[in-house]
Order: sequence, then structure tokens, then C-alpha cells
Amino acid sequence: MTDNREGLTTAPARPGDGPAAPTRERPFAGRPARSRRPRRRNLRRTVEAYLLIGPSLVGFLLFLVAPILGVFALSLFSWNLIGTPQFVGLANYRRLASDGEAWHALTNTVYYVLLNIPLQTVLALALAIALNRKLRGGKVLRVLFVLPWMAMPVALGIIWNWAFDPRSGVVDHLLSLVGITGPNWLTSTGWAMPVIASVNIWQYTGYTMLFLLAGLQAIPQHLNEAASMDGVNAAQRFFKITLPLLRPSMFFVLVTNVIGSFQLFDTVFVMTQGGPGDSTTTMNYYIYQQAFQFFHAGYAATLAIVLFALILLVTAGQFLYFRKRTVYDFS
Amino acid sequence: MTTTAIRRALLYAVLLGGALISIAPYLMTVNAAFKNTRSLFSTQAWTPASPATFSNFAALWSQYDMSGFLVHTLIVAVAVTAGQVVFCSLSAYAFARLEFPGRDLLFWAFVATMMVPQIVTLVPLFLIMSHFGLIDTYRALILPTVFGTPYGIFLVRQYFRTIPMDLEAAARIDGASTWTILWRIMLPLSRPIMATLATVTFINSWNNLLWPLMVTSSERTTVVTVGISALQGQYASQLNIVLTAAAVALLPLIAVFLLFQRHIVRSIALTGMK
Repeated sequence: MTDNREGLTTAPARPGDGPAAPTRERPFAGRPARSRRPRRRNLRRTVEAYLLIGPSLVGFLLFLVAPILGVFALSLFSWNLIGTPQFVGLANYRRLASDGEAWHALTNTVYYVLLNIPLQTVLALALAIALNRKLRGGKVLRVLFVLPWMAMPVALGIIWNWAFDPRSGVVDHLLSLVGITGPNWLTSTGWAMPVIASVNIWQYTGYTMLFLLAGLQAIPQHLNEAASMDGVNAAQRFFKITLPLLRPSMFFVLVTNVIGSFQLFDTVFVMTQGGPGDSTTTMNYYIYQQAFQFFHAGYAATLAIVLFALILLVTAGQFLYFRKRTVYDFS
Repeated sequence: MTTTAIRRALLYAVLLGGALISIAPYLMTVNAAFKNTRSLFSTQAWTPASPATFSNFAALWSQYDMSGFLVHTLIVAVAVTAGQVVFCSLSAYAFARLEFPGRDLLFWAFVATMMVPQIVTLVPLFLIMSHFGLIDTYRALILPTVFGTPYGIFLVRQYFRTIPMDLEAAARIDGASTWTILWRIMLPLSRPIMATLATVTFINSWNNLLWPLMVTSSERTTVVTVGISALQGQYASQLNIVLTAAAVALLPLIAVFLLFQRHIVRSIALTGMK
């Protein structure tokens, strides 16, 4: 029994944990039990904590940390997934320097990110602003906008292939109504990537909107009202008040969406298999091909490290960009 | 007054148009699943299937082990979801409420790995699975995520930190153990976040293609994503069957999402803001 009581005093008294934090330790402060066996109690507490995180920790070390370390080791080997790995030193990295296809996959990936992220973010922001007011049916609309988010990318690929099919597709049907003949979307090297980007913009705009809407709702109403009374026009209010105050949400949305976009695979796999030519071969798809179609596991590991480094670099850049800008606190 | 009315009407028009674009692919796909081959090509995608035919479903089920795919996917998704809810709660409680050496270091190590692309761990993970002889088993599909993911732990920990300490303190005075507190206080108060975690995990597991594609090879373990992409390669000319398969794969998730959407929409604010 006493042990359980002592547990109370050990609860973290860190600021921000809740309003009860400051009063928590006082009732037991004078108890002798507290000073008599502090070490044993600490041990008990530590053991308990590690029992709680134990399963997750084992999974984390075995299926996440070990593979991450393993990929660095693997990049120094030549291995066909079956035989014995051969140590080749930095040969895979040297090969990378002269691999035009890898470079092409990299530029394709960046191109996709640049197609996807700005358009998706602007659309999501516009939707969030439109929904950030009292509207009849606003809640239903919100759910409808988020509905695409959970769609299986493999199934979406099939549906988009159909929609952009020149013979029976709905896109060309609609375009023909206004007298436009659509190109052969998915067999055109110029159009295939924008079509793939459109799948993902369709899928994630509503989801992104939810985060931005939550951010908008956290902005105190009186700021805009005061500015409006001072004669600040809507455009100025948007750029000088709303957008700066939306930075925390914007940061979260951009970081997670960019990380996700750099990993495009499913839609490419189903819709174009990297083609036509290699116009939609993204890094993820190229790594998959190297590992599981050409059985160059070591080289695939090297490519994976390059992708990882690129993502880290871009994420760090975003951190720096958003960090030097002021954070406002209204709580 | 009239300009306000016009602006409001315009706003609604744009929003309804957007909502229509959001759900049109679903509606057209389900519609197409009930059309026969001839009317699929001779009518517009938005023309209702009439008379509706079930022949596509019959053909799909007779040519493919569609029930098997669905059952395999369900087994994996349910196992992973149950594991995530249990193990993420346990670790999230330790990270949110207990003080122990290495806590902050471990927590940030978990969070940092959220940036690691899935493809990075894929080949070594494949190696680990083949070392333990788990290739082409359910265990290979379930094990990597069943013990909780950094995202899940982060999500639940953030939520636990918003629950007032008072309740827990009172329970401790009454002699409640950590286990009792977790089971009787934290979990009942955390239903929204548990619903969110469960839904997100279920969706991710249901939709996952890359990992199952690598570690499974036999009919016995084929999940829906792998099955459908194979079907698409094999029956590319039979558009009606492929579209029907897509509809069958999409609909269970819509049901799951609509069931829990209230919680998800609400808990989004929590992940994004903190």
C-alpha cells in the first residue's frame, strides 16, 4: 500500500502537464517513507516504466532501428538477396555518381513534389478558409472532403486509369463537351506525372484542410475584427494576420506532406510502372526495382540512403525557415 | 445585402462542387461495378447502371479468391490494430506520466524515426524476416507494426498529457496501481484518440502495398492490395472486373471511416497543434 502512495510523489511535476502539477507533491512531503527508501522506489518505478514501454521498445529496436543501421551496412555490400553478400566498400556510391537513371528518378521525384505540394496546400487553405465560418451543412461538407483520404492507392490507380482512358474515360468525355480533345494522358511522357500528381492532390487535399482548419479556429476572432475596424482590407488581413498566425499548422502540414510525397510508390506501381519511358520513375519506385526486380540489394540500400538524406535535408530546411519566424502564443 | 447573398451562394457552389469532386470517383466506381461490359463502354460514367447486374461480382469471385484476399487483409489489419492500441497506450502512458532514466532520449528517438522513409528499412527488414524464416507468413505482415509505431505512441502521449492529473492522484491515494489507473481512468477518458488510432492503423494496414508485395508470394497470404494489382496486370482488358475489385476494396474503409469520423476530425486538431 505505501508503495502505491509513494508513486504519487513520483509523478512528473513538469510545467504544462496540467493545472494540478504544483500541488501534487505537498501532501506527502513530510512522510518519512519518502526519504527512507528513495533508491528502491526509483528502481521500482524505472522497472515499471520499462515494462510498459518494453514491447514497443523491442519492436522499435528490432524492426526500425536495426533495419536503419542495417541499410548503412548493406550499402557497402553487393548482394542479390539470395547468395552470400560480397563486401565492395564504396563501389555502390561510386556507381551512383555515374547512374543517369538514378539521377532521373531523383529529378522525377522532385518534380512530383513541386507539382503536388503547392497546389494541394493552396487548395486546402482555400477550403479551410471557406469552411471556417458558420455554414449550414459545414460538418457534412467537411466529412465529404476528407473521404478521399482513406482510399486505397492501388484501387485509386485503377480508377484514375479508367478516368483518364481515352476510350471510356470521364475526363475526356467532359473535355469533349467543351470541344477539347484530351491527349493520351498516361501514355504521354509530359502528362503522366501531372496525372499521378492529380490523384494525390485529390486524395490528400481534404485531409490537409482539416489541419489548417484546426489552425484557423485557434486564431482569436478579435484580432481580425479589430483590424477590420481599423480599416485593414481583407487581403491585408489575410497576409498580415491569418497567414503568420497559421504558421504552426502550416509547418506541420508541409513537413509531413513533403516527407510523404518524396515516398510516392503505390500510384506509380499501379498506373504507369514508372513509364512511359522512365517519366514517372520516382526514387521509391527505382529503389524497389533495383532491389526486387534486378536484385541489386546493396545498390538499393545506397539509393535508400540518398533518399533519406534528401528528406532530412529538406525537412531541416523547413525547420530553419519556420524557426526564425516569430511564434505567437495566445494561451 | 444582396452582394452578401450572392457571395454566399457562390461560396456554396464552390464548396458543393469540391465535395462532388471528392466523392465522384467513389460513386462512379460503385456505379461501374453494376454495369455490364457493353454499357460500361457505351454509357457515360455518371449514367446510372440500369438494369443493374451482379455479373461482375460473380465473375470476380469465380476467377479470383476475392473472399480469401479480404479475409487475409482483415486478419492482418485487426491484429495490427489491436496490438497498436494496446502497446501504444502502454508506452504512451509511461512517456506521458512516469519519470524514468532515458525517457526523453527514448521518446525523441521514437519521434525522430517518423522521418525515415519506409523504403529505407524495407530491404534489411526483408533480411530479418527471411533470417527467422518468416517470409510468406502472416507474422511477417503483422510483426513490424504490431508493437506500436512512433506515430501512434506520439499521438496517444499527446492526448494523455491533456488529461488532468487530479483524477490519477486521487486514485493513487486510494491505492490504485499503474495498471488500474491505465485501465480504469486513462483508457475510458481516451476513447476519441483510441478510435482515431485504431481507424488510422486499420486504414494504413488495409491499404499497405509495398511490404506485402515483398514478403508474401502464395495465395494463402495474398492481401487485397497485392491481389488487386496482380488482377489489374492480368485482366487489364476486363475493365469492369478490375473496377468491381476496386469498389470491393474501397467500401469497407468508407464504412469504418464514417463510423469513427467524428473522433478523427476532432483529434486532428490535437496532432497538428502540439
